[in-house]
Amino acid sequence: MSVPTTQRPTGTETATGRLGDITLLPDGIPKVTGDFAYSSDLWMDDMLWGVTLRSPHPRARVRSIDIGAALATAGVTAVLTHEDVPGSKYYGLEIADQPVLAVDEVRYTGEPVAIVAADHPETARRAAAKIVVDYEVLDPITDSRAAMSPDSPLVHATPTQDHYPGGGNILRHVRIRRGDPTLTADVVVTGEYDVGMQDQAFLGPESGLAVPAEDGGVDLFIATQWLHVDQRQVAESLGLPEDKVRLSLAGVGGAFGAREDVSMQIHACLLALRTNKPIKMVYSREESFYGHVHRHPATMRYEHGANRDGTLVYVKCEVVLDGGAYASSSPAVVSNAASFAVGPYNCDNVLIDGYILYTNNPPCGAMRGFGAVQVCFGHESQMDKLAAALGIDPVELRIHNAMAEGSLMPTGQVVEGAAPVAELLRRVKDAPLPAAAPTDSYDLRALPGGVSNTTHGEGVRRGVGYAVGFKNVGYSEGFDDFSTARVRLEVVGGELVATVHTAAAEVGQGLITVMAQIARTELGVEQVINQPADTSIGTAGSTSASRQTYCTGGAVQAACEAVRDGILAMASARGLSVEGAALRDGKIVAADGAAVASVADLLGEEIVEETREFHHRPTEPLTRDLGAPGDIGQGAAHLQFAFAAHRVVADVDVELGLVRLVEVTTAQDVGKALNPLSVVGQIQGGTTQGIGLALMEEIQVKDGKIRNPSFTDYLIPTILDTPPMQVQVLELGDPHAPYGLRGVGEPPTISSTPAVVSALRAATGRPLTRVPVRPEHITGT
Amino acid sequence: MRQFGYERPEYAADAVALAERPEVRYLAGGTNLVDLMKLGVETPDLLVDVSALPYEFVQEDLDGLVRIGAGVRNSDLAAHALIRSRYPVLAQAVLAGASGQLRNMATVGGNLLQRTRCVYFQDVSKPCNKRMPGSGCPARKGDHHNLAILGASDQCIATNPSDMAVALTALDAVVHVQDHAGPHEVPLAELYRLPGSDPQRETTLAPGALITAVDLPTLPFARRSRYRKARERASYSFAIGSVAAALDVEGDVVRDVRLAFGAVAPVPWRARTAEAALVGGPVNEEAFRAAAEAELAAAEPLRDNAYKVPLITNLVVRTLAELAAGS
Amino acid sequence: MTGRPTSSHITLRVNGAARQLDVDNRTTLLDALREHLGLAGAKKGCDHGQCGACTVLLDGRRANACLLFAVAVQHVAITTIEGLADNGTLHPMQHAFVEFDGFQCGYCTPGQICSSVAMLDEVAAGWPSAVTGDVAATEIVLDAAEIRERMSGNICRCGAYLNIVAAIQEVAP
Repeated sequence: MSVPTTQRPTGTETATGRLGDITLLPDGIPKVTGDFAYSSDLWMDDMLWGVTLRSPHPRARVRSIDIGAALATAGVTAVLTHEDVPGSKYYGLEIADQPVLAVDEVRYTGEPVAIVAADHPETARRAAAKIVVDYEVLDPITDSRAAMSPDSPLVHATPTQDHYPGGGNILRHVRIRRGDPTLTADVVVTGEYDVGMQDQAFLGPESGLAVPAEDGGVDLFIATQWLHVDQRQVAESLGLPEDKVRLSLAGVGGAFGAREDVSMQIHACLLALRTNKPIKMVYSREESFYGHVHRHPATMRYEHGANRDGTLVYVKCEVVLDGGAYASSSPAVVSNAASFAVGPYNCDNVLIDGYILYTNNPPCGAMRGFGAVQVCFGHESQMDKLAAALGIDPVELRIHNAMAEGSLMPTGQVVEGAAPVAELLRRVKDAPLPAAAPTDSYDLRALPGGVSNTTHGEGVRRGVGYAVGFKNVGYSEGFDDFSTARVRLEVVGGELVATVHTAAAEVGQGLITVMAQIARTELGVEQVINQPADTSIGTAGSTSASRQTYCTGGAVQAACEAVRDGILAMASARGLSVEGAALRDGKIVAADGAAVASVADLLGEEIVEETREFHHRPTEPLTRDLGAPGDIGQGAAHLQFAFAAHRVVADVDVELGLVRLVEVTTAQDVGKALNPLSVVGQIQGGTTQGIGLALMEEIQVKDGKIRNPSFTDYLIPTILDTPPMQVQVLELGDPHAPYGLRGVGEPPTISSTPAVVSALRAATGRPLTRVPVRPEHITGT
Repeated sequence: MRQFGYERPEYAADAVALAERPEVRYLAGGTNLVDLMKLGVETPDLLVDVSALPYEFVQEDLDGLVRIGAGVRNSDLAAHALIRSRYPVLAQAVLAGASGQLRNMATVGGNLLQRTRCVYFQDVSKPCNKRMPGSGCPARKGDHHNLAILGASDQCIATNPSDMAVALTALDAVVHVQDHAGPHEVPLAELYRLPGSDPQRETTLAPGALITAVDLPTLPFARRSRYRKARERASYSFAIGSVAAALDVEGDVVRDVRLAFGAVAPVPWRARTAEAALVGGPVNEEAFRAAAEAELAAAEPLRDNAYKVPLITNLVVRTLAELAAGS
Repeated sequence: MTGRPTSSHITLRVNGAARQLDVDNRTTLLDALREHLGLAGAKKGCDHGQCGACTVLLDGRRANACLLFAVAVQHVAITTIEGLADNGTLHPMQHAFVEFDGFQCGYCTPGQICSSVAMLDEVAAGWPSAVTGDVAATEIVLDAAEIRERMSGNICRCGAYLNIVAAIQEVAP
């Protein structure tokens, strides 16, 4: 196999640290020296560059495509359209509804129509501009609520309703009914809430290198979240068996859900096989905004009924998510939105309708928080509103209704293990508050307006807001998202070395650190090598749903245990007594703590290698509405729940509409912090992305076109927007999970957004029913 | 991007001679031009790099006038002792813009000529009267959240994005220009044109004209001056509204005042109506507010940018109140 | 057209070495480093000066390599992330970023480190920032607010900002 010259195995560097130790990242040194090879850094001397021609229209029929002039351009080697896709012309994570290249219709602005390979990216771009596509432009369907109407034109002429019963443009409708939602209550509050379209905005745009292989297959070096789901889709579209499509993980410049879907993977492989040359594709920032799915924008209607004492009597919720042109992971996102629509509260009577729609807007799919983010803004806004209507402290109202171990989800699922909702809320409420805003003198830097000398204390009001949220860890509704790990123990140069191999994607979250910690802990070795992730080993599942430490960590643990058993069996075969023994510090240590033998001596030239799969406990699909009476949308659909709470203190300039977050306090139960350093990093980073959604981040789509595909117009929090954070980590342990851990990555993104808005409401007295909150919403102008 | 030739002359006359054709652009810091070339908005066939010209100076003449070379980088300007002490509003305005990296690159001359951030201007697939005269203006009905409330026309509602130019406008800066007719001076207020019926003409400069320096007149009361900027992110983002002000108070009467607004008009907006209302009047918030409202009486806000009217009003009141309190 | 050549034979002084190359005039410094000189440490995050991932030093001053044409930077000394370490010994700022966990995915990190190294020099030279209360003051007190404002030209989407501040504070005099 040809290997790109700049391809360095990622994460083979060694470090130290066992489970629970603060452990520095093994890929840290190459990342600070510039040596770490991201997918965009790959290079082969004879490679060509691939570029994509995209649709300028959100909805149009494709009458014809003329590639003649493009193909005749000097330096151009190939121009491909849908006719050149040898295998399946459609792909998708859950439903294969997305054309590899547009076939007869384009359904969103930016949809790939043709691809070009040339000796220079600029040549390829100019050639792509010469492709003549004859479009019959149609009126786009861009309003998700209007798209629900039976009278609406269809985004897909043949909807995929056999997969998820809906109707028309409804990709999936999740109904959850439990108890008697027709009840009345002492106090009723209703509200409508909107969430704008957020972008993952990872800093390293989509990129990869496809290298044709002598066996007629292709090797793809790629930044992705899930090598094997890419492999399946690429192989199907190439018409090749999966073993001829081999993927290796290149350095990943952030992911946050946006690398779960295929972007340029199939295109690069098509061009590589056609030209018999390595093909590099790198998206520009603008193209990246068109090249991956986004967080679903949502409109929500809520009705909460409660007794005078604050006890929730019923909750009704309708959430409509705009899925855009293709399915991506939308069916799972709307299932989550429905599951978590009430929040982590007890309520016996629920009526929830979650809809996800096909429209001609940009496709939406996975982003950190996955459906729970949108509804958390809804239910937490409602809890604040209910608290105000009842005259009860908003935190006390939440605690009064807080879910706990043994509580029932709206889906009837029993919440097993720790569900410390009340404790998390108490902790953030009891944390010391920052000093009050000064009234007589001021420090310019401690005031809103980006501390930029804009506000000097006039019109500034302080607000404190709270929110709590939760979501599922791992895939739900019966999906077996197992992981595979191979662990080898051997003596290299006189030293005991463990090698860990999985296909799990390190995207910056610190998984390779944790895998090495596990091996060190289980096998008693110092030196652990993480072999680069690729598809030569079985799937690890996706780096998403906060699941990778749970599932791949579990697989590494299982493989380590098998290796340990092999070592102990070797020892036993040599007449040593190893009953109850463990491996520690390079030795077999008996139950009484006595060293039995040196593992290196025992192994000699031999190698012990084991591969294990980790399958989490099975989950159930939600029951569907089959016309029968009684509860519906029920089932133990989720593996594990993860909870976090936030308190936000904000200084708000109510005249200028400017916000300065004074401090964020957060508490989260992580079960067991395998690497406390990375846990805190994940909580800070996730919180920051939630702050972005609250205050500035929105992809503005008008008439099906993204208006702000740049980092000047799509604003991400800077270091100056990010306040000090108090992070409280609880380790309550989940007996069902490896080491008792609980997924970490997503919860901080979920409750931070509503907590920020709650603080802004407290400061301004305005309803603020939409995120992101703009300055004129704060001033009411 | 279109292919281009590259020259780096050492004399201004050579640069001007090279730049006569409309397809030529001067390259200074490049922070705006290179961006627009990548977007296909600017398509020069020749770049004349002016970084070798001797315009990286800040100096004071015997009359106290401060002359700033057009090639002075924004960060050097903001760090210069003369500017920081005598014209703090200018240092603050420069520091409020862009990032440390961009300020190290961007020059005074380039900053004065930076183009609008209107999304239609930057998107070559869209009509834009400024970029393609006569093609139309989708902004009026479309995305105009950060576009003009003052000085716009039916043809164009783009805003000038500069922070620095707002301060220079308040300070009555004079621009030195060299063109094929030779060197001459233009008051900054006369450099910029309102869009009217030909929004593609943004300045009164002749083709190929090169800005060589900017003069700051002596203005002792500018030692107490202030730039305040509102934006949607704490740093590294363009203004949604800004105010540059200098205030001279004698007793409880406004003796003199300089006031300019940013991000509200196609040009840095000198608020002469407000200044006239203030001079000779009382030093209190009511007077400041009345003056701002007098200036903004001419505002013609659109569907999504009406928030700028109270925003600027409040910024004016606060900025003047702060300067008054310090007098 | 002008009849002038649209490509150039240029010499760039990068990390102490003179490097000769032939480039199309359209080649940015960032592309010249990454694609002609094999120095891929500076990253392309936006290519429009909006993220800071491409930050390099020109005569010690930080700049966005994506907005500079290579042909126009032949008269300055260029330092990239690859040139910060001294014979294999990490620059103190590189070491601090590892020690304080100042990154997650690491894509912004070379730019953050180059930027912060030059930023400390700007502070030492007495440059004010937008949060400096009195721009006329010549002494800069480099507290967290000053670090944050001065580093705001480097976006970190993973949100490792708090640790970045800590790393810089460790190195700051």
